[in-house]
Parts: sequence; C-alpha cells; structure tokens
Amino acid sequence: MNSLQKIFGAIAVVLYTIITIAPIVFALDRLILVSGFNPTFWVQSLDKNYVSQGTIGFTFIQSFFSTILTILIGFPIAWVLGRHSWPFKAFLRSILTLPFVIPAIIAAMGVLTITGPYGLDIRTEESTWWWTLILSHAWFNIALIIRFCEPVLSTLNPNLEEQLLLLPNGVTFYSRLKNLWIPVLAPAVAAASCMTFVFSFTSFALVKWITVRDKTLESTMAEVSSSSGIQGYMESSSDIVLGASLIQFLVLLISLWLMSVLQRKRQTKWQQASENLVQNKNTKGWLVLAPAIFFVQLPLLSVILGSLRVRDASADSTSFKWSTAGWSEALQGSYSFPPLSEALFNSMIYSFTTLIIALPLGYALASTIHILEEKNLHLSKILEIYTMLPFALSAAMIGLGVMLGIIKLNPSAAYDFWFLPVLAHVIITVPFVVRIILPALRSLDLNYEENAKVLGMSKLNRFLKIKLPLMKGSILVATVFTLAMSLGEFGASFIVARNSEWTTLPLLIDSLRGKPMKDPLTVPASNAVATVLMIITMILFLVVESFRNQKDRGMF
Amino acid sequence: MLNCRNLSKKFERSLFDKLSINLEKGEILAITGPSGCGKTTLLRCICGLEKLDSGSIFLNGKEITNSPAEVRNIGLLFQKPVLYPHLSVSGNLSLASRDNHDKALTEVGLSGFGNRDVHTLSGGEGQRVALARALLANPRVLLLDEPFSALDSDLSLKLINDVRALLKSRECPAILVTHNIEEAELFSDRIINLLDSIN
Repeated sequence: MNSLQKIFGAIAVVLYTIITIAPIVFALDRLILVSGFNPTFWVQSLDKNYVSQGTIGFTFIQSFFSTILTILIGFPIAWVLGRHSWPFKAFLRSILTLPFVIPAIIAAMGVLTITGPYGLDIRTEESTWWWTLILSHAWFNIALIIRFCEPVLSTLNPNLEEQLLLLPNGVTFYSRLKNLWIPVLAPAVAAASCMTFVFSFTSFALVKWITVRDKTLESTMAEVSSSSGIQGYMESSSDIVLGASLIQFLVLLISLWLMSVLQRKRQTKWQQASENLVQNKNTKGWLVLAPAIFFVQLPLLSVILGSLRVRDASADSTSFKWSTAGWSEALQGSYSFPPLSEALFNSMIYSFTTLIIALPLGYALASTIHILEEKNLHLSKILEIYTMLPFALSAAMIGLGVMLGIIKLNPSAAYDFWFLPVLAHVIITVPFVVRIILPALRSLDLNYEENAKVLGMSKLNRFLKIKLPLMKGSILVATVFTLAMSLGEFGASFIVARNSEWTTLPLLIDSLRGKPMKDPLTVPASNAVATVLMIITMILFLVVESFRNQKDRGMF
Repeated sequence: MLNCRNLSKKFERSLFDKLSINLEKGEILAITGPSGCGKTTLLRCICGLEKLDSGSIFLNGKEITNSPAEVRNIGLLFQKPVLYPHLSVSGNLSLASRDNHDKALTEVGLSGFGNRDVHTLSGGEGQRVALARALLANPRVLLLDEPFSALDSDLSLKLINDVRALLKSRECPAILVTHNIEEAELFSDRIINLLDSIN
C-alpha cells in the first residue's frame, strides 16, 4: 500500500465515519441524555407504554410467519425456474423478482387498492389484514428465495442425483432429500429466510398501510420519532425508541452473523454443469409459473388501474368510471400537497446527490478493503465489518439518527438543511455499493494489471483504461441500485423530511393516500404518483438486469 | 447374467440400433468407439438413467427394462468421480453401506482415508473412493464410464490393473466404455466396437 493509497483510504474511512457513524452516535447520546443508560428499562418500557404495547410480540410473530409463507410460495417457483428450461427465461426471472426492487410504498398502494374500500373491502377485518400483511411480505420477498436458490438448482450437476439413485442410500425420495437436496439447498434457503425475516422485521410502509391496529418496532419508532430526544417532553418516547432500536440492532446483528456463516456454507463446491444439461422441458411447470406471475403482477397492475379508476363524486356512491382526474390532481398539487413534478424533482435531486457521494465513497472503501486484503488481512476484515454496520440499522433508526444527530449540532438544520434526506440515503446506500464493488474488485484478474504495468502505463492510465472498463458492469449496477434505493426510500425520509419542500415521491404517495376517503381522488391520485415511481424503478431494474452477469445471479 | 436384447436409442441421429450384449458372471466387457457415438448413453440406458427407444434388458433372467434406476442394483462410475462435498470420504461411503468402510478403502489402496475431506483428494484418489463406494453397494453389475480417462497415464495404468483385479476377485461383471483401445485391451476380457454394431 503506497502513501497515496494510504491517504486516499484514510480520507474514505474518515468521511464514512463522519457521514454514517457520527449522526448515530450523536443521536444515541441525545436519547440517553433524556432516558438514562438502562437497557433493561428501555426494553421494558415498550410494554409499559400504551403506544408500544404488544409491538415486540407482533414484530417477531409476523416476521416468522412472513418468512415461512415466503419460502412456501418462493421455493416452488425457484425449483420450476431452476430445474426446467423456459422460453424467455431471463425475462421470466426479471418479472418474478421485480417485487424486491419495487419500493414498499408502491406495494402497499397496490395491496390497498385490492383489499381496501372500493376494492374487496376486507382491509378492516383483523383476520384478513393480518394475513394480507403476511402475504404482502411474501410478495415482496419471494425474489430472495428465487435469487438465492435458482442459481444453485439450475447449475447443480445432474450426476450428483443420478449417482445417488444408484446407491442404496439414495433409493427413496426421502433419502435423496436427506443426502442431497437438503445439504445443497439448506444454506441458500436459510440465507434467503434470514434476509426475509430481517426485511419483514423492519418493514414499515407495508405495516403502516396494511395493518389497522398493530404496529412493528419500526413503525412505532417512526410514530414517536417527533417527540423523542427532547428533555422534559414525552420522555417515554425516548425510552421506546431506545428499546426498539436495541432489539432491532440485536436482531439485525444476529442475522448478519448468521448470514455470514451461511455465506461460508454456500461456498461448498458442488459440482456444476451448464444449464442446458441440467434443465429439461416440463410443461406442467406452467401450473406453478402462471399463478406466480399473476400473484407478482397483480398489485402492480392494481396501482396502474387504480390511478385511472375514479369513484363517482356523489356521496356514498360505489359506481366508478375510467378517468385521468387522479393524474390531474397529482400533477396540479394543492395547498396541502406539492405537485407530482416537484416531488419528482426532489426525488431526482436527492437520488443523484446521494449517488455523487455514495458511489465514490463506496468505491473508495471497497478499494481500500481490497488493497488491505493483500497487505493486512486483519485490518481489511475489520474495515469490511465496519462498512457493513449500517446493515444492522433499520431505516427508521437511520432517519432518527440523522435527525437527532443534526439537531444536536444545529437545531434549525432539521427544518432548513435540505441536504438532510441525502445524508440518510447515503448511510443506507454506501454498504450496498461496497457489497457490489468489492466482489468485482476481487474477481479482477491480476494479470491485466501486471501486463499494463509491463506495458509502461501510468497508475492513472491503468485505472482509466484497464480497471474502469473491466469494472463498468459492477459500477453501473451500483449506480442504478443507489438511484433506485434512494428514489424509493421511505422509512428514513418519513422521519427526516420535516420540511414540506423536501417531499419526495414516496412521501407524496403517503400524504395523498392519507387524505379522507370521501374524496374520490384520494386513491387515484396516490396511485398516479405510485405509477410514476414504479415505472422509473422498473426502467432502472431492467438496466441492472441487462448488465448483471451470469455469476452475479444471486446478488442484488 | 446381464442380457441386453435389440437395444435402440436415437436423439437427433441413431446412437445404437438393435444392439445385443450378453455378460456372464465375473466377465469384463469393454465397449469402444469415438466420442459422441453413444457409449455413455448406452450405459445410462442399462442402469436406467435414460429410457430406451426399444429393446429389453434382463438381469439374472428378470426383465428390468422399465424398472427405475434406483431398484436395478446396477452401479455406475462416472467419468469424473461424483463425490458429495458436504460429506467426508467415510460419509460418502455411508451412502452405499454403513459398515466395512476400512476394508473397502484398503481394497482400493486408500487405507486411513476415512476422515479425509473430499476436497483434499487428487483425481485418482477421488475415483478410487467412488469405486470403493460403488463396490460397497454390492452391485450386480458395475458400469464404468471412462473413469480412467481424466488421469495421467501412469496412474491410469495402475488403477486399471487394481480395479480389474478387484472386480475379478469379487466376480463382479462389468462394462467399461472407452475411446481408448489400449485401455480396453488391458481392462477387459472382451471388446465390442459400438460403431461396428451400428454398421
């Protein structure tokens, strides 16, 4: 590591610490100042306070059932997709994994359009909305099961199963399950389940809009965020936030540890074969794929159709007409809500500013980790874990961290520092950039670099003419991913964006849908904004898909 | 022992047509032919991993043409040894039998290898473990799909001799398919050229 690399790496680490870690530390300091340092009391306060009673149990139970249902729905799809050949397979895979990149607020709008008033009207029944939430989480996360399992299934050497068929302990279906399929698939299913549990555990938009009464730790934190961290004012809010944060942090930390263990298990080298050898035709597979496509696309179609389906303005009317009135309402805005164009502009500005900071910072961190791997493996591992820390923080925790942290430095900044949402988005996206760039750096063939050196190319030339072109696919994936995540970010923005001029597309959707239902344009206008966000996300997703290389199929 | 009558199989072209094979107890047969002529497919049909277009297979007088692979009790050694990476050498042998691992490993010259991780085995050692596992299952016939082709010539020669001796001592009938005539001559009692059988 030469001196220039050392300075470059040090700047990246310091900048990352200032942007991501400092606000969280400031926020904790402020909350502890109000609440006192008593972790047991923080956790106990969750069940003592009316606003947060039952949230721990609800969060764990709904995450557990969401994970089980996700596996039950996702695994047959992954199996059919992986073990059989299909026309337009890449397109099918994209369609079936699309929900994961769709912002949760859009999914919430789609589900609400189906189950809400003037839809099936089953939302307010407790037995229904509980399962609706579980099903929505499954909808959102089946992509994880598909992305983790399908590459294993589609490339596993068929000789492994054939050999087992010819051995006494592979004669029965159960023995093959025990001796082959469970060892092969368990790490992938477990890793996907672990991630599904985490996403369901920290789910916010879906819980906020689909459940009628119960709350998760995440939605409770968002609800009490405005009154937390203030001495002498509703101090129980600070207890709740600290208690919820502590539980979430521990759950996410354990999940991250589990994921890294499972990741190592997934590296077991099973003999692979080309997809052509593994996959055969199976027309019955459509019995799984066709309902799956319907299941995946239904909420998205509901958003589009819901933006054009307008209820008759007369009171208590249940007749509908097709109209663009919802779009006009969203485009024009009102005294209460900015027009769609303003929210789109804000979203674009925030996402591009996030990109300008997160991409170079993430690249610099990944590059530093990669260089350190050769010189000081121990330090590289510490830095890698350090860059993954934000993964252990939920969006609401990050939002609160940014807000309370900035209030500590300058209270008025919470309302007049437009950059605030970007800060939250950078904290969320940098770890993803590192996770995308680092494997790409690791897989670069050293010979290219060494050959360029022998050819007398300068360091800058080697970077611009060799490294950058070879890395362009991963850089583009990181770029698009950062833009998409920032555009669709809701949890942290919901807490941070205190100024109405900072309204982003997800926040506008949330505000419009929060209007009284007697207004016939409440649903169409919110769905119109959701449609715009959905189309932008889909375009970004298609760009990522076209640049995703074959080896990256398990990556997001 | 093994009677194959009028076996026919075609994919895009005919691989073998009305091929008949008779294999006696303890006999070792080699089937030769160039790459792509259908040797592997023939073995896969005999052990039940592929379906025949026509013809019938009898084992000890009992027809097994339509029996599933898992009940035929015919062993197969693949060209590249198929070892399960989540299991140790002994764990792989357990798929065939819970007992006699030490004896089986000694027979193939790998005494003391039971606890070894399969990743640490060389190509030849891996093939020996696969052979030990196949023999532990006590197959009525053993099929060998060019298992020596990926090994260097010295190792291949030693393994050919060792495997032949082992099969003869157990009187286990076997069919080896190979494109290497020398290998076929060294290993087998009798040789059939698959191309001759088509023409």
